[in-house]
Amino acid sequence: MEAGSSAPAGPAPGPPPSIPPSGDQGVWADVSPLIAAACADLQDGELVHGENFSLFAAMSALEIMDPKMDSGIERSGYYSIDEAIEDGIAPVPLSLDRTLDIQRTLDVIDHLFSCEATWHKGHTLAQTVFTCIYLMKMERISSHAVLNSFCRILRATCNSVISVVSTARTHEEEDLFTMSFGLPLNGEGDDKCLSVLNSVEETISRQLRACKSQALSKKKTLEEFESLQDNPELEEGYCRALLCRLRFRKHFHHVVMCMRKPQGRGLDLARKHVTSCLAELSLMLKSQEFLKSRSDITSQKGDESCTTASGCCPIGFDVSLNSRLLSPAPPRAVQILAWSDAIRYFEKLLHDLDIICALSLDPVLENVLHFIAQFQKSVPDLVPRAFLQTLLVQDGKLYGRDLFCDVISRALSLPDIIGDKEFQSNEFVVQLGQLVINLLKILCTNTAWQRRKLGKSLQDWSTISIQLELALKREFGETRNVLADENMCMRVSKQLLVWSQEHTYWIASRFLILGFELDLYSPSEYCMVYWYMHVVFIKLIEKMQLRILASNENSRRKGKKKKDHSKDSVRDTPFPPSCLLLQCYVLLSEGLSMLLAALRKESKSFQSPSIFNTEQERFMQHFDLLQKAQIPECITYYSFKEAAAQAYMADVMKYNFFKEIQKIIPSLKGSFASEPEKLAELRQIEQVAEHNRIALNIINHVGASDPKLRVSFEFTHHPHFAVAVVKRS
Amino acid sequence: MSAAVMQGTAPVERRDSSSGGAEIAYVSYGGEQHLPLVMSLVDAELSEPYSIFTYRYFVYLWPQLTLLAFDAKDGKCVGTVVCKMGEHRGAFRGYIAMLVVLKPYRGRGIATELVTRAIRVMMESGCEEVTLEAEVTNKGALALYGRLGFIRAKRLYRYYLNGVDAFRLKLLFPRPDLGLDPMMMLGDERDGQHMDSPYL
Repeated sequence: MEAGSSAPAGPAPGPPPSIPPSGDQGVWADVSPLIAAACADLQDGELVHGENFSLFAAMSALEIMDPKMDSGIERSGYYSIDEAIEDGIAPVPLSLDRTLDIQRTLDVIDHLFSCEATWHKGHTLAQTVFTCIYLMKMERISSHAVLNSFCRILRATCNSVISVVSTARTHEEEDLFTMSFGLPLNGEGDDKCLSVLNSVEETISRQLRACKSQALSKKKTLEEFESLQDNPELEEGYCRALLCRLRFRKHFHHVVMCMRKPQGRGLDLARKHVTSCLAELSLMLKSQEFLKSRSDITSQKGDESCTTASGCCPIGFDVSLNSRLLSPAPPRAVQILAWSDAIRYFEKLLHDLDIICALSLDPVLENVLHFIAQFQKSVPDLVPRAFLQTLLVQDGKLYGRDLFCDVISRALSLPDIIGDKEFQSNEFVVQLGQLVINLLKILCTNTAWQRRKLGKSLQDWSTISIQLELALKREFGETRNVLADENMCMRVSKQLLVWSQEHTYWIASRFLILGFELDLYSPSEYCMVYWYMHVVFIKLIEKMQLRILASNENSRRKGKKKKDHSKDSVRDTPFPPSCLLLQCYVLLSEGLSMLLAALRKESKSFQSPSIFNTEQERFMQHFDLLQKAQIPECITYYSFKEAAAQAYMADVMKYNFFKEIQKIIPSLKGSFASEPEKLAELRQIEQVAEHNRIALNIINHVGASDPKLRVSFEFTHHPHFAVAVVKRS
Repeated sequence: MSAAVMQGTAPVERRDSSSGGAEIAYVSYGGEQHLPLVMSLVDAELSEPYSIFTYRYFVYLWPQLTLLAFDAKDGKCVGTVVCKMGEHRGAFRGYIAMLVVLKPYRGRGIATELVTRAIRVMMESGCEEVTLEAEVTNKGALALYGRLGFIRAKRLYRYYLNGVDAFRLKLLFPRPDLGLDPMMMLGDERDGQHMDSPYL
């Protein structure tokens, strides 16, 4: 330690062992006594820390050699990959016995498949796919044609998938996925991975044909130079097992590459490869019987947790070598998926990708939003969500093709102004276009993250609506002219306002609905949540109807029909089925909210008194983001309190919301006859309405205040709308 | 914040017939002699790893917010709660970091009592709200906090090192300046329990 010449040098206890000579710059002095004195000054257990020593700093500290914290702790006994290789844990060839070599190769391939699925499910590449020593040191297997071709294409596919997920940036909470620091991901010549694989595939399929023809001609010799291994009896089985695995990789690589093509140009071809992938997956399952029969039974693990088709443990993997590459965070436990689960994962992934590929690239925003919401219902994993997002938003355009300002003008039913420069450069249109891009991106994230981002975006949507409204007042005054007298500019502004309000309420309704999917509401809160939902749905219908009226007006003008523009004809405009469907949601939410409010009042249930706060605080917390954005205006806790105070069982019976729904459903079924998803939704709603109608009758018959009455709410028929279950104790 | 910073699995409340009627003594953190007790309880019962710095960070900055429960019969430490408080985005906020009760002692209200006492200190210190995270699968903890008035504000995707989602739970204290309830002024009866609470 260097100290200035004026540094206090305490009485040194004898000459220190090796203090370097003092130079021009300063004098060396022993500070041990100073440190000892400082230590003595500290109380037992006291911590030396700076102002900036935060919880984050404290928790970022790792205790070396604590197995719960130290990801670098040495567990395998190997300090490096080279050392592991020297010790023979990843031999090339995998065995000198050619039959065993191919058997072991298949185990490596299968385990890598399970690792890949585990990676997709949210673990790091380093702890899954790259636990494979063959993949870490690819140069070693260049002579092993099968393994080399397999590893090459696997690596190239992983690389492409990472780049899709990174581009989409839908993975804020799933950032382990793209973490690939220090891994040999970019191998030279991986661009040729397909041709390398094709030639191996060609050789094996020729061999398979040879096997078949030999079987026919009863010859029992193998053409040595092409055979996979030495036992003629097994050649066909091994050829088949390898072929389906290699072909799966080939088609999966094609799926990824096709789906990455700009403007969705590769989607049709991608679908064909998806079909091929699924076919190869089922052949892989079929091969399991043969592979199991060949494997040494004693080395088989239970089928449930086994990561290979054969049931054997693969060679050439070490789980801890790469853990040192992980960021300085405690090691996460990684349980590699079983091979059968990995098959199921890929089947689901391919089905999800197929749904995306089947997208018609419809430029109508309403349909796009509905598509994403529907797609998210099946809880797709990160990879398909990233693919969807990169398809929807490319180069700031919808599908990389349609300018968002054109998407908006189309939504306003103003085809005349598509491409109109003045409309495109309007600051509100530019801002709304940006909000729509953000909305599409948010909708592709996992629902937990999505809800938080949607909640925050409400403020932006609400702000722009307010600005639009102010601009409208400023430019056109307070006049509320009939539509016929409006000029184009005013009409566009008004429609833009209604359109942005409609989307604000759509987002708000999705925000509230997702709370059910994420299990954020407790039964004592259902009453206020359904009440808020019904308010938001009503506003959504209102804005939707205004937009439809205005766009009907546009098309009427466009048709140059000079006939009567009387208000009656406007009123008579039939509203689309989507409005009627929303009406069902209004009735369901209102019915459930009133039923709950009446139960609370008459049977004292569904209340949750707490010593620290009241229902008002819980209301403020749940709807904080909506309240701040004034969605809707003038709605407070007291509005809810007042509505709830007026709910009596007799009224719930009188209004019979659930019966009303049953009246609407039949006509809706006709309107949605060609849309199976919407029909399924209708059936669910019908079930909820029917069960609640019956429950309501029972409660009313028994009397809500009957102490023996037990009412609970379950989501057995719909993810967002509960069904009342009545029991008598 | 990295996931390593997140914590707060709380024990499952369970009825336990073996628990006699023994008295439990509650004390706030009193010094170095308590630290090993807190550490061993948390290390044994919670999944997340904490370094010594984390424990010291809490107990030295907010000793009044770390509480221990002792079995009065044999002086054994059977439960603990570790908390902090401070400014967070413009609000003064309490945070419950760890809550543990030994299995044989669960179902006797010890966890509720520990948390209630800690929250009371936070409230008296001027906190506006209290937060914590709990595993979505930890029904006991969720019920316990629900009874105290916490709501599930957010779901945190794969929050814990073991890959389980968490709920961010929040408790908002009533604000005196917002207490002008028009319904109340009209004489409507409102649950005024917080006014009658023995904890205030």
